Amino acid sequence: MEKLWNLYKSDDWVHPFLIVSIYIFIAASFILYLLIIASRNKKIRQTKLKIEYDVLIDTLMSSVIFEDSSFTIVSENQKFKKLFENTYFREVLTESIINLHKNYEGVYAQKIEQFYKDSGLINDSFKKLRSLKWEVKCKAISELAEFKITEAFTDIISLSNARNKTLKVTAISAAIKLAGAESIKYLTSYTDSIDDWTQLNIIGAFKKHDIGDTKGVEFLLESENTTVVALGLKLIKELKLTQKVPFVEQLANKTPNLMLQNEAQSVLQTLTV
Amino acid sequence: MTFFTYEITEFVDLYIVLILAYAILIMSSYLILAHLSTKELRNYLKRNSFIDYEVLLSSEFAPKLSLIAPAYNEGFTIEENVKSLLSLNYNNYQVIVVNDGSKDNSMEILAKTYDLVLTDLIIDAKIETKEIKGVYKSRNAAYKKLIVVDKENGGKADALNVGLNIAEHPYVVCIDVDCILDKDSLLKLAKPFLESHEKRIIATGGVVRIANQCVIKNGRLIEVNVPNVMLSRIQVLEYLRAFLLGRMAWGRLDGLLLISGAFGAFDKEIAILSGGYSTKTVGEDMELIVRMRRYMLERKLSYTVSYIPDPLCWTEAPEDFKIFKKQRSRWMRGTIETLSIHRKMFLNPKYKLLGMLSVPYWTLFEFLAPAIEFIGLVITVLFIIFGLINWHFFFLLALFVYTFAILFSVIALFSEEKTYHKYPKQTDFFKLLMAAFIEPLYFHPLAVYAALVGYKEKIMGTKGWGEMTRKGFTKK
Repeated sequence: MEKLWNLYKSDDWVHPFLIVSIYIFIAASFILYLLIIASRNKKIRQTKLKIEYDVLIDTLMSSVIFEDSSFTIVSENQKFKKLFENTYFREVLTESIINLHKNYEGVYAQKIEQFYKDSGLINDSFKKLRSLKWEVKCKAISELAEFKITEAFTDIISLSNARNKTLKVTAISAAIKLAGAESIKYLTSYTDSIDDWTQLNIIGAFKKHDIGDTKGVEFLLESENTTVVALGLKLIKELKLTQKVPFVEQLANKTPNLMLQNEAQSVLQTLTV
Repeated sequence: MTFFTYEITEFVDLYIVLILAYAILIMSSYLILAHLSTKELRNYLKRNSFIDYEVLLSSEFAPKLSLIAPAYNEGFTIEENVKSLLSLNYNNYQVIVVNDGSKDNSMEILAKTYDLVLTDLIIDAKIETKEIKGVYKSRNAAYKKLIVVDKENGGKADALNVGLNIAEHPYVVCIDVDCILDKDSLLKLAKPFLESHEKRIIATGGVVRIANQCVIKNGRLIEVNVPNVMLSRIQVLEYLRAFLLGRMAWGRLDGLLLISGAFGAFDKEIAILSGGYSTKTVGEDMELIVRMRRYMLERKLSYTVSYIPDPLCWTEAPEDFKIFKKQRSRWMRGTIETLSIHRKMFLNPKYKLLGMLSVPYWTLFEFLAPAIEFIGLVITVLFIIFGLINWHFFFLLALFVYTFAILFSVIALFSEEKTYHKYPKQTDFFKLLMAAFIEPLYFHPLAVYAALVGYKEKIMGTKGWGEMTRKGFTKK
């Protein structure tokens, strides 16, 4: 330390400082350059692999969907067996079957769901759900919700109280998909304020998953949390739930909150005109 | 004589210490901002990968936006540009094109293309503007979102104020009519307005990128290329550094002083209460944000300004020095005017981070930097003339600054590579890398010179924008 201080006092530090800094800047630039090249090469490699995997997955899934091949038959193929051990392949496969599942309905969709369970990809999703990283959890939630894995509902609904907003929104949307109106009762007891973006996502989830059974939406209007009440009003308005008009009228007459009163009046106007 | 020599040596030493301290200060601040930006950018991208913008698209509760596009002599491109504005992915929005007394046939083209008819719309002029000749709407239901205002020439700020007066919706998006917007730009810009209950979001800014040499089809960007002309190519790097490594960090710190005039959204109520765009400055975009922030802070209202790092808006950069000089000198005048109007904020704790950090930072590193560099250059020349220069030190210092400049550009390229990867072609990447080596020797002196011209124009009392000729985009 004393040595450094003496160096500073003597003014002899300027030249060594500049020389060392220049070396550091050059080295850092070169390292970053190498990292850029490595990243670009990795992207190229992954794109190539993905193209290769997509061809294999197309063959695999068409035999599962259209030729009734079960996972047991598929796993007898040594090539597939080996590929299943590859994490990147499993990732691409999960992504592909999610996309397929979105495009198919009925028996075909059920076959894909069965494949997801038999192949063990479901375990990958549950493992991801236990991850400490919120983004991995979000991925797991999306996967489990897509394949309607109701066993995951309890875990997912508990994440709807997460501090991370993206995780919270993903969990609520997934819970609505999995349990429909059942998830409303969790919202009723919500104490945190729900911002407009989250509210829009909840409404979007109801619309997207075509939740016909909206029993219990009126309970949202009884919440102490004004943002939950606002959500209830928006849901009633957007889903055009005319059967809930008496509850909205009751709210409009009862609430001391001017903003909610106005919103309730606006909903009544839309639904009764 | 000995005393005199001693005095000179003292002065040289002091000069060296000051110049080195300034360089270290500026470099450290850049690195800190880059670090904050990278962290924030990574978080944003993670969050964004789970966001379903369709909920905004299909909901009647999506924020209602009024898009204001001032146009002056845009006859060549106005038809296509307005069409692209009308076809953005968003439902709750209107497009207000303000023809700011164009001398060309912009108005005729608009009237003919969009079958415009004069309306008797009563305008509640909350902000004083130049006279409005007429407000037009289309007879064609397909263009029901469109409003065209024909007015006397009053400059960009005046045209934007007319838009603010006419806008029916609570949020306004101010854009340059010749910019190329991403199809989802409004979805991304509107989302932050829904995200906070505790703080009012008074503005959202987006990233602007350079579109020279890019391929445009029907008003949409379909292929990204690096410009062939070195001046605009280096501006690609400069924009990457500014938007990816600078503004993102200021956004995170909630100290953003500037939302680009080419693309930004504002809470209309606060913009109007703050007095709208100032016609007294050429830096109206920066000045409005500072004034809106000041308005909120002085009334102790909780607020924030949001920033979107996605490349949503693409613009044409000047390709020749004459236009570049005009643009940069205007930017400098705008900075001086804004900082001067709001000088009360400088190191004033009442204005919190803005007063204590953002304004001093802009003063020291944006406004004063060209002057400091120029003074440094003059002193160096004097040192050479009087034989006082220590060449070894001089070259070391020059190399220190040069290698840092390259490093910082490479950090920007790395950040771009890891995030948006908009330049996937190897040749494009190497072109940008080479530009990083050339920039400090070629572009930077030009930028400093243009800024000095800005000082001179300010002292001479030059007003207005001057003619900004654009070449237009490569079309397919």
